[in-house]
Amino acid sequence: MRNNKKRKEINEEEFFGFAKSYLSEAFPNPQRIDCPPDSELTRLAEHPREANPSVSQHLTCCSPCFNRYMEILADLKRRKTG
Amino acid sequence: MAAEGSRSVFRLNAVDRRGRKIEPAVLEAAEGIYSRALEHGLKLLGDPAVVTTALEEVAATVSRVIKGKDPPGDLAQVRDLRAYMFRAFLRHVNHLKRKELALVSLNEAGKMAEPPWAGALRELETKMLLDECLAQCDFIAQDMAWRRMQGFSWEEVGKIHGLSAHAAEARFSHALQQARERLKI
Repeated sequence: MRNNKKRKEINEEEFFGFAKSYLSEAFPNPQRIDCPPDSELTRLAEHPREANPSVSQHLTCCSPCFNRYMEILADLKRRKTG
Repeated sequence: MAAEGSRSVFRLNAVDRRGRKIEPAVLEAAEGIYSRALEHGLKLLGDPAVVTTALEEVAATVSRVIKGKDPPGDLAQVRDLRAYMFRAFLRHVNHLKRKELALVSLNEAGKMAEPPWAGALRELETKMLLDECLAQCDFIAQDMAWRRMQGFSWEEVGKIHGLSAHAAEARFSHALQQARERLKI
């Protein structure tokens, strides 16, 4: 059942902020099941069109890989702007 | 409800609570993701029995989807069955939680100006929107999301995919809008 009152739609900044916070903690995966090697994450960051799409899918349900990927992207961003 | 098996693998039933059969390969995948599914499901649903039942229902649904493929039972069309199962489970758990929160909202409606469930419902809807968007959008839209989460501008995101900033933003917005429409949020 939905609320009759129209709620304010979430804006993009809130959405990505929530997404980063949620994905960084929601899927601990301590046994690192199905995790790709670091080199695959780097390839995804630097050459996404050459990367294996299943690596990107894995990030949707593995917080350690998601966090590592965020670090790689942050490093890439620093190198590009620096 | 599931049965206890070996120490390393939790055994699920080969039929769900509605009597729908679970294909052996799907059952194996469901058992493989059980520990992670349980950990995540408990945060939202709180009861291991409910979470296990939910996983069995998802496995039965996935079995039917795979049987309906051409040729029937062709697993090759599902690139990564365990990842597919896990995402299907997330969406099912979100759906169950949303129903639960909607019932709370009906019971509490009109009692207070700012009811405590409003924040929880909004957060759950955002989570559902995110799960739906990431599960259904294409690889490029997904890649755009990762980069935006890390503070890349639309211009930087577009450049990587050979698009203008505006085209990149429009492409992701479209994927998000489609997810909203599917969820009716």
